[in-house]
Amino acid sequence: MPTDNDDHVDRRTVLKYAGTAGAVGLAGCSGNGSDGGDGGNGSDGGDGSDGSDGGDGEDGSDGGDDTFELGVTMGQMDSGLDPQDHAETNTEIIVGQLYEGLLDRDKEGGIIAGLANEWERTDDGSVRFLLRDGLTFHNGDEVTPEDVRYSIRRIVFEDVGIASPQTNDLGSVSEVTTGDGQVTVSFEGYNPIAFQLFATNGPVMQQSWVEENGSDYINRNANGTGPFRLSEYDSGNEVVYEPNEDYWDGAPEVDELTMSASSESSTRVNQLLAEETDIVTNVPPNEVSRVNGSDVATINSVASARIIFLQMRYDVEPFSSQQFRQALNHAVDVESIIENVLNGFGNITGQPTLEGHVGYNPDIDPYPYDPDEAERLVEESGHAGVEITLETPIGRYLRDVDIAQAAASQIDSLSNVSCEVEQREFSSLVQEVTAPNLEDRPHFNLLGWGNAEFDGSQTLTPLLSSEGALTVLENDELDGLLEDAEATEDSDERVDILQEANQLAHDLAPWVFMHQQFSVYGVSSDISWEPRADEFIDPDTATQQ
Amino acid sequence: MSFGRFALKRSLQGIGVVWGVVTVVFALRFVTPGSAINAVAPLDASQETRQAIAAELGLDQPLYVQYGQYIFDLLRGDMGQSYIKGQEVTALVFSRLPATVELAVAASVVAIVLAIPLGVISATRRNEPVDYGATLLSLGGISTPNFWLGIMLILIFAVEFNIFNTSGRGVDVGDVALSVVNAEPFVGTLLTWLAYITLPAIALGTYFMALITRLTRSGMLDELSKGYVQAARAKGLPRTLIRYKHALRNTLIPVITVLGLQLGTLIGGAVITEAVFSWPGLGTLVIESINQRDWPALQGSLIVIGTSFVLVNILVDVVYAYLDPEVVND
Repeated sequence: MPTDNDDHVDRRTVLKYAGTAGAVGLAGCSGNGSDGGDGGNGSDGGDGSDGSDGGDGEDGSDGGDDTFELGVTMGQMDSGLDPQDHAETNTEIIVGQLYEGLLDRDKEGGIIAGLANEWERTDDGSVRFLLRDGLTFHNGDEVTPEDVRYSIRRIVFEDVGIASPQTNDLGSVSEVTTGDGQVTVSFEGYNPIAFQLFATNGPVMQQSWVEENGSDYINRNANGTGPFRLSEYDSGNEVVYEPNEDYWDGAPEVDELTMSASSESSTRVNQLLAEETDIVTNVPPNEVSRVNGSDVATINSVASARIIFLQMRYDVEPFSSQQFRQALNHAVDVESIIENVLNGFGNITGQPTLEGHVGYNPDIDPYPYDPDEAERLVEESGHAGVEITLETPIGRYLRDVDIAQAAASQIDSLSNVSCEVEQREFSSLVQEVTAPNLEDRPHFNLLGWGNAEFDGSQTLTPLLSSEGALTVLENDELDGLLEDAEATEDSDERVDILQEANQLAHDLAPWVFMHQQFSVYGVSSDISWEPRADEFIDPDTATQQ
Repeated sequence: MSFGRFALKRSLQGIGVVWGVVTVVFALRFVTPGSAINAVAPLDASQETRQAIAAELGLDQPLYVQYGQYIFDLLRGDMGQSYIKGQEVTALVFSRLPATVELAVAASVVAIVLAIPLGVISATRRNEPVDYGATLLSLGGISTPNFWLGIMLILIFAVEFNIFNTSGRGVDVGDVALSVVNAEPFVGTLLTWLAYITLPAIALGTYFMALITRLTRSGMLDELSKGYVQAARAKGLPRTLIRYKHALRNTLIPVITVLGLQLGTLIGGAVITEAVFSWPGLGTLVIESINQRDWPALQGSLIVIGTSFVLVNILVDVVYAYLDPEVVND
């Protein structure tokens, strides 16, 4: 029976090979002691994931040579590499190493030069950018004003390539024109925050490269102008970069950058403590002492541009009562929550605009914690004995469920209000929060909002104006102030108007004002790196210790 | 029924199951709140932007049209394009599949290599300390949640003793094989591979090991009490021969069945282990796709997982039928 014979031969062959492999393996193991240092050389060193391990104790390659390999581990990987076809932070961090816009921001959020080294407002209210000389894409081709024009149009206009989710990020652009080394952007009406928008948004791509390649290719490859070039893209696993030696601001010190993700925060911290990576994001407060207690890493935190609050819909009882809304602001002890739930990683707020952002009103104090006053206001509102439910997303913001439970428990401890928490999966909750009609939105929910433009209008308008995409309020006076702020060309006057709007928002209390979230990073002691206020990670500024 | 017809019947049933998986996942869109648009668009996107994105993704079509189009494309081997990642789902899923298969096979190897000897020893030394030890171990293995075990393994062996890597995949088994061909340091590559795969393989394989140990033990005890074993003993055959050639071989028939079925379960069930170890397999893709309502990517993953499961089942059925012709007649 030939089949049987074949079977026997196969089995024996397999066993023979297995035995040989085992013997070779054992021999290799016994001889490996002296080869220990090889782990970091040659082919191993070239492997992306090994790169991040590089330094790490096992082979000591970081100490042995000058190669600076940096690993960054986030909570989630990118959703593709097209810089204009996403709208979330993790993807922005991954593609932001490869692509950049006309303007940029420093670590504190101030506007600085990007691909444009000069920018100005023209007489007709348009904005003009002058491109740097000698800019090149990673493929070596020159960056032209036409590329910039195409990039802006691809974001703003649906008929240019894609329906970009960033279409509102550049304001209501009406036309983009080019000249000798310059690009002029016009808007429908006056846009007072044009430069703020371009400092945060508008990555530039090469027109011919985009037009020649399909979506699948553009999402797996890159051709930007950023400080790093794409070296290896392993979707969902890791992205490996090499320095862009032709970068206009000089090549970064990092020789190899690896970005990866672990959804479990404990896994990220373990990676950091095992010296497998150098920067990890979103270290939960309960892990902070473990990191600081180690001798290989420390915690580095910064107040972010994200505000956390409890939205209350103005058109449903009991939240239709301003007194009731103010009562809840007095009922929640935000400072205690920051101290006990967030281990101090938060700043109390009393207005929608964060300190340092345009329009912040320094004269507004947060609502003081005063349960007696809260009970009095509830009585006055006529809603004593009411039962309310606070809906909160699970795991979307730092300790969101714990924060919601603490706040609800404090509200519930009032003698005349009962409050319970309903935990919601974020995707499901956000479906309702962004519902086109106000009546379909939740009555009382926790939400966070990142203001990447560092301008108060970018929080007030979408969240509190009558036409805002996420609004829970309809107030003519506030609408009027925001319209005035939008129309004014005098920046000082605009600040005054926004400050007034913030005071009004504080008094109207459409939210229970909670806190400014901190970005908490674990950083290896082998490197020096400072985090940014806008949640972006800039490994090109990292240096070896 | 002939053996061929039996195999054909099983295959057709398998196709039906995969079609069922596709349809059920599609139907889940009805009852699952949330939309891929929310994962693509910023929170403050205007309704016009949301509608434009919906149109681009084909989400503005009635569900039956989307379903018909999907099945039509699927029959042509096209699983569509990921809503979120913008990539072809076929490429996306098959780029993740090897990692999951590798982990499932490694977990099976860990389980089998430990479980069968343990089960045999446990049965042949019944009520001795070694039996109690093996029983305790298997009980512990079945009772321990693999995510907890995974975290403990990481804390002890990766963070504390720095023997293994905490997470990630590093090199794959193909790199290990290629290192021989490319004259790269084989041992170094092998050790790197082991540094990454050992802990997740143990975490995933422990439950499996415990199950097989118990199955082998009870099977062996059953066989050893049968008449043919008594007869063999009476004939004066050596004890080792009776145990390993006669009793163990008979015990292995149900063990192989469970093994096959569990391999399918391992491929589909590695989701939690993959999350704990950031193992870039299908499990992590499934979680990402669910969170982002990326239906094409989720369906593609589930089709591949479902097909793997069905294929393994068919294989086990067919092998079983080959070994035991009575199954065909039943």
